[in-house]
Amino acid sequence: MAELQQEAQENVKPEKIDPKFKYEVMKHPGAEKIQMCFQCGTCTADCAIARFSDFYKPRKIARIVQLGLKNRLLGNPMLWLCTTCFTCVDHCPQGVEVSSIVRALRNMSVGNMNEMPFIYKVFASNVLKTGYVYLMPESRLKRRGAEGLPPLPKSNVEHVTKLFEATGFLETLENASTFKNVNLKTGDQDG
Amino acid sequence: MSQGPRIGVFVCHCGLNIAGVVDVEAVTEYARTLPDVVYAVHNRYTCSDPGQEEIRKAIKEHNLNRVVVAACSPRMHEFTFRRTVSEAGLNPYLFEMANIREHCSWCHPSTPEAATEKAKDIVKMAVAKARLLGPLEPIEVPVTNKALVLGGGIAGINAALDLAEMGFKVYMVEKKESIGGHMAQLDKTFPTLDCSICIEGPKMVDVSRHPNIEIFSFTDVLSVEGFVGNFKVKLRKNARYVIEENCTGCGECRDVCPIEYPNEWDMNMGVRKAISVPFDQAVPLIYRINKDYCIECYKCVDACGDRQAIDFSREPEEVELEVGTIIVTTGYDIYLPEEGNVYGYGKYSNVITSLEFERLILAAGPTGGHVIRASDGKRPKVVAFIQCVGSRDINKYPYCSGFCCMYTLKHAIQLKEHYGQDVEVYIFYMDVRSNFKGYEEFYMRAREMGVNFVRGRVSRILEVPENKNLIIRAEDTLLGEPIELEAEMVVLATAAKACDDAAEVSRILNITRGTDGFFMESHPKLKPIDTPVDGIFLAGACQGPKDIPYSVSQGSGAAARAATILSKPSVKIEPIVSVVDPEKCRNTRVKCGICARKCPYGAIRAEPGKPAEVIAAMCHGCGTCVAECPADAITQMHFTDAQVFAQIEAALENNPEDKIMGFCCNWCSYAGADLAGTSRFEYPPNLRVVRVMCSGRVDRDFVLEAFRKGAGMVLIGACHLPYDCHYIDGNWKMKARMEALAKMLEKLGLTPDRFRVEYISAAEGVKFAEVIRDMAAKMKEIGKERIKAENAKLKPFIDRMFARKGR
Amino acid sequence: MADLEYLFFLGCLIPYRLASYEVSARKVLNKLGVKLVEMPDFNCCGFPIGPVNFDLALSLAARDLCLAEQKNLNILTLCNGCFGTLNDANKILKEDEELRDRINSYLQQVGMEFKGTVTVKHIVHVLTEDVGSEKLKEQVKKPLTGLRVAQHTGCHLVRPASHVGHGDNPEDPHVLKELIRLTGAECVEYTDETECCGNPIIGVNEDLPFEIAKEKLDHVKAAGAQALITVCPACHMMYDFNQPRIERAFNTSFRIPVLHYTQLLGLAMGFSPEDLRLNELRVKPTELLSQIQ
Repeated sequence: MAELQQEAQENVKPEKIDPKFKYEVMKHPGAEKIQMCFQCGTCTADCAIARFSDFYKPRKIARIVQLGLKNRLLGNPMLWLCTTCFTCVDHCPQGVEVSSIVRALRNMSVGNMNEMPFIYKVFASNVLKTGYVYLMPESRLKRRGAEGLPPLPKSNVEHVTKLFEATGFLETLENASTFKNVNLKTGDQDG
Repeated sequence: MSQGPRIGVFVCHCGLNIAGVVDVEAVTEYARTLPDVVYAVHNRYTCSDPGQEEIRKAIKEHNLNRVVVAACSPRMHEFTFRRTVSEAGLNPYLFEMANIREHCSWCHPSTPEAATEKAKDIVKMAVAKARLLGPLEPIEVPVTNKALVLGGGIAGINAALDLAEMGFKVYMVEKKESIGGHMAQLDKTFPTLDCSICIEGPKMVDVSRHPNIEIFSFTDVLSVEGFVGNFKVKLRKNARYVIEENCTGCGECRDVCPIEYPNEWDMNMGVRKAISVPFDQAVPLIYRINKDYCIECYKCVDACGDRQAIDFSREPEEVELEVGTIIVTTGYDIYLPEEGNVYGYGKYSNVITSLEFERLILAAGPTGGHVIRASDGKRPKVVAFIQCVGSRDINKYPYCSGFCCMYTLKHAIQLKEHYGQDVEVYIFYMDVRSNFKGYEEFYMRAREMGVNFVRGRVSRILEVPENKNLIIRAEDTLLGEPIELEAEMVVLATAAKACDDAAEVSRILNITRGTDGFFMESHPKLKPIDTPVDGIFLAGACQGPKDIPYSVSQGSGAAARAATILSKPSVKIEPIVSVVDPEKCRNTRVKCGICARKCPYGAIRAEPGKPAEVIAAMCHGCGTCVAECPADAITQMHFTDAQVFAQIEAALENNPEDKIMGFCCNWCSYAGADLAGTSRFEYPPNLRVVRVMCSGRVDRDFVLEAFRKGAGMVLIGACHLPYDCHYIDGNWKMKARMEALAKMLEKLGLTPDRFRVEYISAAEGVKFAEVIRDMAAKMKEIGKERIKAENAKLKPFIDRMFARKGR
Repeated sequence: MADLEYLFFLGCLIPYRLASYEVSARKVLNKLGVKLVEMPDFNCCGFPIGPVNFDLALSLAARDLCLAEQKNLNILTLCNGCFGTLNDANKILKEDEELRDRINSYLQQVGMEFKGTVTVKHIVHVLTEDVGSEKLKEQVKKPLTGLRVAQHTGCHLVRPASHVGHGDNPEDPHVLKELIRLTGAECVEYTDETECCGNPIIGVNEDLPFEIAKEKLDHVKAAGAQALITVCPACHMMYDFNQPRIERAFNTSFRIPVLHYTQLLGLAMGFSPEDLRLNELRVKPTELLSQIQ
């Protein structure tokens, strides 16, 4: 999966354009206004990540969605660099929620390509197993009493499992392949 | 006309605009079955020459004495077809329009069958009204051939000079001390780089010297009453504490005055004396004492000496004028970013607005034309201009302010002219809009001179604490990389917005404003200078941001429009006025006079013992008196009770429980429904609309009749409270009337949701569609059975009431 | 004071790593008369799930909101992430009928239904809006006069502005500054105060968040702040726990203590540093403590 920059040097040919892609993206909550983007770049100028990464450019993500070059986006490791600080959302003069569009593309990548960063698989597996993002060490739980803190309640794992099942994510999670790191030099995945 | 009605119905395809949804053949076929319809035909474009010719021919061949055209909104083409029928010898008021485009095909595209059924009902309603139409003759009123120009900017100056040259008396009213407007604040003008005051100044002087023009500066408009050709205007001349006739403008008073305060004219960057003029070229050149700052040392009185122009006891003075037309040229204001904005305006001293920059670079400005930084008085070597500050931003002003690109190019070129390669200029832009004569060439010139263009909207400005320079963050979208740039001065091209007092002016003049706050023209293409109020015109940036040539052209255009009225001894007024039946009027027997009290225009006289009388020339045709009259003794021409009752009956003949009976004001909600159609907002096809000129015309009996005939829901659409009514306060009269009626109906078992009053402006197509969607959903929720049961319970009561009144 | 009662949503990161925040928060809230009701069998707010499956994330958040609805209590969180996620879910599900129906169809599997009857507050909102500055001032027994600190409000407490409300300005946040001033400490301004901590992506790339955090610490240091004040466990981890690693990566030295606001407030209210678990901070606030003693 090459990064945006390199891909951009390849010509855009008719067979690479899927004009219906934007409608798929627009179905996701918060991504409805993608077509309002007029490419002013406020999001990118504001983006802490874009200032330090050669590959992550929110404006370009919006542009590529508009054009429908979906193969450049889905499964692109660069998508996982958004910190969801929402500065782009607050500053967009056209009400485009760029962060939400990135979230939609991440969800679509996970759904379509069955691939996600390792850490998210760990987090999701922990939530499924215990209800919490982290596996709480016994020693930590015991120390709560000594510190005068009430015991940490057991989460309702049965409920959580049912929600994983109902949304169809249980299966996705079991089968998903993972990568560990997004390489800042190449924009590609490591590990 | 001894014979009965012979009605011709013409159904328009409007290309596919109507025929693409509505089965026009079926509608035509249906029209033939309606009583008194002797001829019905459909054609592609009824408003085209052949279409109109077909009407004229049919009138003659089929001996038609009524014509119904089922096409677009009457607000679009009623006038056209009235002329058509009169060309064929028919009285123009024997014509009726059925709006099957804006109110039907355009808003029901996905339900063609229901749309066709609705179109049939709309035609049926029009035919029902047409059967009862009578011929009317226009009323003529005399014209006062003087004009009022409201606002002394460049648009107003041109309008006033043109009218004065045509020989009409013009009053120019300006709220500020001097005429000249924003143009007088500017250094140079694009794309020619003429000195702004050098070209405007002589025109300002022309205004002051013209024998036909009288200037009222430092003056507010308090009220405007009357109608086309006959407006009465009340002004308040604010106190200058200087006697205008005695002031020679010598300035000796200013020289001795010890007090200075920030000069608003200089964007508060410079100062002026407590007795002064805002700038040297002010017109009229009359000094003013600002009592907020004056310490009353009376040095000015001594300096003025024998001229005796200073008078501390001056009071504001009221003046009344009579004019035939009014030209509104009140201009625009500049948006100032609020506290905590991302560009640091107000926080970082070297971030200024473009208008502030104008005053800096102007030789007569507070720095003598030196562009210097507020932080250290030094000349900036790197200047960045930020475009679209507030403009093209849905969180502030969604529209493009139009002239910012060009004045920024001007500022950039000026800097380059002054300092050449010793200054770097950056313009951060999204699009450079340079689309008029000479403008693109101006953009070329800026590039030739070495101005740097960065295509990207600035996201944030940070101040470097040590030197007060500014770090600009943007993405260079053409490079595809975020960039940071250090500038020594930042100039913000802030949005042009509607004047802060636009709402007040709109209330006084009864003219409407768009969602952007600017005044609304009558038609965006064909009546760009007219307002919905006859005799009131717009020019310049009060209608939307405009540059100087555009404002000047519009000023002249407005003068020409005004002259069409002023040049004639009289104007014709639509004869849709009210008429009192002296036989029925109670005022002869009891002290009534309700109509006279309720008339918003004081157009009705009701002397004790005599029947009330309508002064036709003063009647605006809202119909409020008709609805208020307890004896049903008043009739509004062309909107008679009988005609409206016939429309209600026609609308509700079939499946009334499924229908929403709407009574919509022509100026707001009817136009709002038109806009919903024009915007293609879809809503359920249950609505049937009776158009009235004002919600004030909606009689309680109309509502009762609708429920008696089985209506599912009733809607009254009115102009927004408090001030939007086209007839001053017809909507308030309706409100009082309908609140009482709603209480009564609720007591009689009506589900309150079934009777609704909504305030929807001509600009609120979205709201109109939402209201109908909501009502249709509620109607479904309530259910046919309950509607029928409630109506059955109401009916005997209404029957008894109507029987008593002889309906 | 019965009004000041909330369902306490602890989240995951605080019990996992930051007892200092929980202990100090419970102490000051208790003293201020705020009653915390423990939340039974809650689950992760959904924050780390949103990127992989937003429907599931909303369902997890909605389940927590349902627990609060059952208790008829508003939620109090200490974490910006939990606040942002729960508040966002609450708003979206209230407004988007179609989405609400879908999420409720999932919740039906666990016998719950989202109704949208509670609100979610961060401790900052509770302190400013419900406890109020008057009451806070009363409780400040040992004003921290002479102390110069900087604030880091964090993104999810104020952005996106249209979803958060509560009246702070995300471009120039002032609410935490005012809370800091109530303790008697001075709140210094520094360059680029609204910059994100970078923590959410540390799992996929460590270098980038370190660069961002380094920039922030540079600015804070340049402004002469003696400490950085946070109100979010994730931001805190970034600036405190990771500070020595950032120093090593960039071969520099900051030694800027990072305090939870509840610790700063606790000190001003007269609690001891031990009570407030200041010893658990990675960057020891030795100098700061000796100054205020």
